[in-house]
Amino acid sequence: MSPFTFLFGMALLSFAITNVAILKRVAIWSFIGSIVLVIFGFTTPLYTFSASEGVLLFEIIVFIVLGAIVLSEDETITITQTLFIASASILLLESTTLLSFIVSFELMSILSFILVSNIHNAKEAEGAIKMFIAGSVATAILFLGATLYIFSQNSLDSAIAEHLNGFGIVGVCLMLVALFYKLTIVPMHTWAADSYVELRPLEAGLLSGVVKTVVLVATFKFFSAFVLENISFTSPIFITLALITMSLGNILALFQKRVTKILAYSSIAHAGYMLLGFVAVASTYASDGVLYMAIAYIFMQSAVFVLLDKLSFGKGDILLIDLYAFAKKDKWSALFLSVQLFSLAGIPLLAGFLAKAVMVYAVVDAGFTIVALITLLNSALSVGYYAWIIKHIYFDTQESSYLFEKLTKPSYITQIILVLGTLYFGVFATTILGITL
Amino acid sequence: MSALIVVFFPIFFSFLLYVITEKTNIARFVALTLFLGMFGESIFLYFHLPQSGFMSLGHFLEIDYFDFTLTFAVDKLSVIMLVLTSILLLLVTLSSWHIEKSSAYFSLLVFFSGAIFGVFMSTNLLWFFIFWELTLIPMYFLIGIWGAEERVYAAVKFFLYTHVASMLILLAFFLLHKQSGTFDMTLIKESVLVTPALIWWLLFVGFAVKMPLFPFHTWLPDAHVQAPAPVSVLLAGVLLKMGAYAMIRMVLLMLPHQAQKYVWILLLLGVISLVYSAFMALYETHLKKMVAYSSISHMGLVAIAMATLSYDGLSSAVYEMIGHAFIIAPLFLIAGFFHHKTGSWQMQEMGGIMQKAPYISLIFIIAGLGALGFPATMGFVGEISILISSIEKYGLWLIVVAFTSMLSASYIIWTFRRVIYGSMSILVEKTDFSISKMEFFALIIFTFFIIVFGVYPQALFSIINDTFSSYTSLGGGV
Repeated sequence: MSPFTFLFGMALLSFAITNVAILKRVAIWSFIGSIVLVIFGFTTPLYTFSASEGVLLFEIIVFIVLGAIVLSEDETITITQTLFIASASILLLESTTLLSFIVSFELMSILSFILVSNIHNAKEAEGAIKMFIAGSVATAILFLGATLYIFSQNSLDSAIAEHLNGFGIVGVCLMLVALFYKLTIVPMHTWAADSYVELRPLEAGLLSGVVKTVVLVATFKFFSAFVLENISFTSPIFITLALITMSLGNILALFQKRVTKILAYSSIAHAGYMLLGFVAVASTYASDGVLYMAIAYIFMQSAVFVLLDKLSFGKGDILLIDLYAFAKKDKWSALFLSVQLFSLAGIPLLAGFLAKAVMVYAVVDAGFTIVALITLLNSALSVGYYAWIIKHIYFDTQESSYLFEKLTKPSYITQIILVLGTLYFGVFATTILGITL
Repeated sequence: MSALIVVFFPIFFSFLLYVITEKTNIARFVALTLFLGMFGESIFLYFHLPQSGFMSLGHFLEIDYFDFTLTFAVDKLSVIMLVLTSILLLLVTLSSWHIEKSSAYFSLLVFFSGAIFGVFMSTNLLWFFIFWELTLIPMYFLIGIWGAEERVYAAVKFFLYTHVASMLILLAFFLLHKQSGTFDMTLIKESVLVTPALIWWLLFVGFAVKMPLFPFHTWLPDAHVQAPAPVSVLLAGVLLKMGAYAMIRMVLLMLPHQAQKYVWILLLLGVISLVYSAFMALYETHLKKMVAYSSISHMGLVAIAMATLSYDGLSSAVYEMIGHAFIIAPLFLIAGFFHHKTGSWQMQEMGGIMQKAPYISLIFIIAGLGALGFPATMGFVGEISILISSIEKYGLWLIVVAFTSMLSASYIIWTFRRVIYGSMSILVEKTDFSISKMEFFALIIFTFFIIVFGVYPQALFSIINDTFSSYTSLGGGV
């Protein structure tokens, strides 16, 4: 049985379960089961799907992270959705033909829409609508691009061809634009800055942590050959997009007062770092960089959003001033948050550092030293707002009046798993480096 | 394996230490024991070193791809730094024996000790960088939590400023790897690089911030003034030395031909740092700021010594680095002590402390004399050897070093006049200057080193000279 069939089956089955405790167990065992299936080499039996070593590793990571998130989740619909998202991730990551890629990407999109449609208040509704409209626009553009591509190639049933005529190139570029909506690349980022803040943090975490990284790896895997073939005109475009995305994300994050808004812009800035994989596509390290970035990011981003979700459950936005002397109130949450923020900032011995390091090295290796320098300075700039959050948590002595929820035991386990992931991939780079994507 | 333990055990153990000892006062004993162990390990390494070159301490996480292998190896220079660091860590522990929130404080200190040992022990540039950056985290918290009124500003500025500089260093390391195919600093010397000048400049600016050299020094006075006194000692005694160590190791010895070509900038910035900071120290009325500028001025002296690129010069640079650590530490500790007791930083509000706290004043005077280069102290030996080696290399105009020595004499003696001697101020009169035994003991040890190595510098020079003997055969005059 392939992991996809198993997970999709379990997801359908989970509709029938209404008891949260049982559902949780089913979901966790489903994830564990899929990890076992992946390890023992069961793959999707259709010829339009195939998985490389890197993809399999990433799938395992996605299952671990989703499993950890489910552990502390109490809403049945969200748990079911994580199972669906996991199965869609497998399809998207393993797609080898345009048809399978588009179908699995759309499946992922629709699942994200269903995820955010679990609305509790007007604010979440606004976030969901924004995301839905942006997503629909992206879908439309994707189909337009695909149509042009098919028009030029007469085939849906193959990977992106390397040699294309004008229509084909325009088609692929349009498809990439559509995918960049999901990756929140500037100027396709505006929905994310609002939606990540307005949605329930857990949903924002799943969207920005899991869905985004899966789309990143899949897009890189699927389009890198095309980008490499057309490097002469793609590299200036990707360099511009990457630098604008990271700089804008970092600069706007500096001025925010809401913690989720800071993280939303930080997520956009990270999209800029991720795009460097396409800039450095000529280097053999580019795929390592993308995979490392995806793995590091899925741990850090999910952890931070899930933690904020649990701390502010039903209490509304956490402002920066609410975090004053937070370490005194809840030292463990403060520690979890700080470690992940330091990782996002790119401080060593944490996954975020090595991810950035490998990515920037790929850029240097591809010969873009100035781009690497600007990226590193951007990373240093980002320390400004991460260190500032940590400053509020530890250095301020005046406690805020915000009543944070206490973490439950399962939440602690979730956070410990995610922190261990961040730490492990901060030291044991050997697990990822050199693996084929 | 012992290298792996001595570096990573403190880093990961520090979290556990905090959890276990949070409600008690025993973290300081654990830290002291651990630092004693680290001191023992450094001494052990010293006695097992080969006559020249590196002694390998193991390879871990081996992978050829990206050369991410964690390689530990030490030579005489790194072992000297290890011994110095562990002595300072021990003395800093004693000096902060009665600090509040001691569990968190000593846990951070333990974390710092692992990271700094990693800096001096790893020969893989990427891992060197990892440990280099890791030292920022405990420092950020130590300044931000235990510092003075403006501590948050100083902590964030310190973090950001040095982090930006680190990014230049990281880029240089990447370029080195791309062009030489390795991160191993012992192999890079042999490789032919495509853009050696760019790499040299990136490294130079990156390390100049940490040393710090004018005009990259502005983070230091803030950090020094706001940090608690023992942390200032770590900043001056360990963190700045880390910059100087990296400057010698990478900017001068790893890229000898570029060093030869551009060393004038090191000399120039060294001279400017020396003179400018001496004038700033003369101008300051804030006691700790005065000491901070004096510290920068001395690092300028170290830079001048390095810029000679000669055997004598490098030896005297390392001697001065050690001397500076032992001299500046009691000055910071006592400045912090005076502020803690009187509540003031301003020298004009003090005066006549000699009458109330004669022993501490005496130590302050000895350390001050060291700072101004008085014979029979480490300061004198350092300054005179640097003066001789630099004049030998660059000619008589470097007599400016001797003139600056007069400047330092002025601000130090004037400080004695305003703080230690003179009529007793009202503030001092109503202050009780009692000091804990541990803190006093630490001060005595510092004084002991200043005098012993001042009177008998051969003890140190015989070790330091060995450090560079293997480099004399290298191209570039080093």
